[in-house]
Amino acid sequence: MRSSLRVVFIILCCMFAHYHTADVNAQYVNAKLKEKKVTIRSAAILPAKVEITKESAKGSEMMVAESADISVKVTEAVNQALQQKKISVVANSFEPTAMDESRKYTLADIQSRYDALLPKLVDKSKDVKKARFTLGDEVMLLNVHKDADVLIFIRGQGRVFTKGKTAFAIVNIFSLDLPFTMITVGVVDARSGEVLAFTKPMSMSNVLKDPKALTKMIEKSLKKLPAAA
Amino acid sequence: MNPKRFSQILLLVVSLVLSSLPANVWAASVKAQQTSTVAQVAQEKFEFGQVDRDLLSEINLLDDRFEKEGVVYHDPRLDAYLTRVGTAIVADTKLENVEWKFRALRDPVPNAFALPNGSIYINTGLLALLDDENQLAAVVAHEVSHVAQRHTYLRNRSVRKKMLAINIINTIGTWNPVTGTAGIAINLIATISPLMLALSVFGYSREQEKEADLEGLKTAAAAGFVPDGMPNSFKAMQKDIEGEQLSSFYSDHPKLQERVNYTSSSIPADARKLTDDEAKLARNDYLAVMEAVDRHNIELAINEARFRSAVFVGEKLVNLHPESSENIFYLAESYRTLGPRNAELTSKQLTSGAKKKAAKTRSKRTLEELDAELLKTPEGQEAWKSNSEHAEKLFVRALELNRLNARAHRGLGMLYERLGRKEDAASKYAAYIELAPNAIDTERIRRRLAVLKESMR
Repeated sequence: MRSSLRVVFIILCCMFAHYHTADVNAQYVNAKLKEKKVTIRSAAILPAKVEITKESAKGSEMMVAESADISVKVTEAVNQALQQKKISVVANSFEPTAMDESRKYTLADIQSRYDALLPKLVDKSKDVKKARFTLGDEVMLLNVHKDADVLIFIRGQGRVFTKGKTAFAIVNIFSLDLPFTMITVGVVDARSGEVLAFTKPMSMSNVLKDPKALTKMIEKSLKKLPAAA
Repeated sequence: MNPKRFSQILLLVVSLVLSSLPANVWAASVKAQQTSTVAQVAQEKFEFGQVDRDLLSEINLLDDRFEKEGVVYHDPRLDAYLTRVGTAIVADTKLENVEWKFRALRDPVPNAFALPNGSIYINTGLLALLDDENQLAAVVAHEVSHVAQRHTYLRNRSVRKKMLAINIINTIGTWNPVTGTAGIAINLIATISPLMLALSVFGYSREQEKEADLEGLKTAAAAGFVPDGMPNSFKAMQKDIEGEQLSSFYSDHPKLQERVNYTSSSIPADARKLTDDEAKLARNDYLAVMEAVDRHNIELAINEARFRSAVFVGEKLVNLHPESSENIFYLAESYRTLGPRNAELTSKQLTSGAKKKAAKTRSKRTLEELDAELLKTPEGQEAWKSNSEHAEKLFVRALELNRLNARAHRGLGMLYERLGRKEDAASKYAAYIELAPNAIDTERIRRRLAVLKESMR
């Protein structure tokens, strides 16, 4: 019994350490970008879609307002990371109140094109290097600022645990049911629609409540993106 | 803890949770037989708890988000039409925390859903698939019934209870101190029970759907619509245009054929039916209202690679107004983008195995890869030849009817570009730019033209 208690204690310690520190930063850059056939000087960030859910012992609950807030924070973090790379970000022209119906529709359609491609990007991220993925020149329908070389698509999901759920997660240690945050950032050529870079940072720590940690995670995830000359 | 006592407690927890399920389901189906209009359902008291209020506030935010994100389709004629049909169904029914709204969602997938705050959404893909107002009324009545019966709240409450039970059972299973046969039995129960509970969520959902079908049938009839609209709407949905209707053990809806059968058998023999002439008139009236939505839906379908659906709706549009340059253009676009696919799936492609295989391939390949693979096959080459010829004829016809139809020039340009007819493509692109210098995609076409000219040097 003593030894099994020790094993449990070790597992709990590992879980605790994992919970607070684990960050995974996978990033993939298209050969054209690596070989400097394409240079990014300016980017337009499309409205981010980060969905977080509250996980309680009684299941999942939507957090619509919190998801909207965190989407803004992630966008800001990506903006900062790009500026550190000397990539300027064109002024946001996708404020819902500033768009007419037709522009809203176009944006929604391009976003849904990206969403349809996203599972393949996540599953076969390495193929971004081989220039396998494109959204097509339909991206030009967005008519973003003419200086923008790329469009930035941000998606993410996260789970926030309640105390009850945390207790169950600890007690049922073998279920490996943990809170996490996963963000994906797609860098897409603003004219051809080709995916130039893709990154999918993941964290087990509570980056959703810590803007600094979030910014750090995003910066790390865009490390391989070449800086503008 | 005494092993015997431990297993008794576990069995008690499991049996309590499981025995409560059929009771819920049974209660729901009995209720369906006793009510017939939305107003009667509204008399039923539903006590809002904190959990329901929390869900409602999230739902209201979600509803607002649909508007902001441009997924709600706005067309004054359609909005007025949907509101007229929806208002006829709900009459003057007032429910706590419900504000009835009837809107179209920009989604080419045939579907409709209700939010518990009274927002009813019908996808443009479903509007394009239906044939008349009675079918639309049936769909609306079904969704209204979900709201009136507070199905979302009840399901949410049920899921929460079951999730808690699953967590408790998992914990008991993890820390089971009992050894021997009793221990194995406990572990077995702890493993199976969460699965049973999860399956019961789908079962409960299916019961609610059936209840909404039967209630919807009655409320639509009470509002003056022809009851046949309900089974006919399911028959319309049975058209598996994209080959995506896969039977699943975990389905939260009853099978469509089942729904056709039980709704048909629930219609009284003396219920009003449409004569052939009335049916034709009703269809034409409905299609006339839907013309703009159908065109919009074709754009959405093409954007989401649902090319066969686009062709299906395009044919409908051309049948409605055979001399409309716009409608012919939309059908031409559908055939152009269909590429190396056949317009209708063959019976071989509609077998369960073939559909599963196609879904798997779609999930792995990009659209460009799928096209390239199909073009390597004789069938794909044949389909592309036929589709491109058909598209060209239609584009030319659209231009004969209206030489100023800029998008027909653009479509023809894209078709010629794909066929390698660079000069023809360049001339069509130039015509488009001249006719539509300020269109949303003029820059895109300018770029294409520049690339073409560069390649012709």
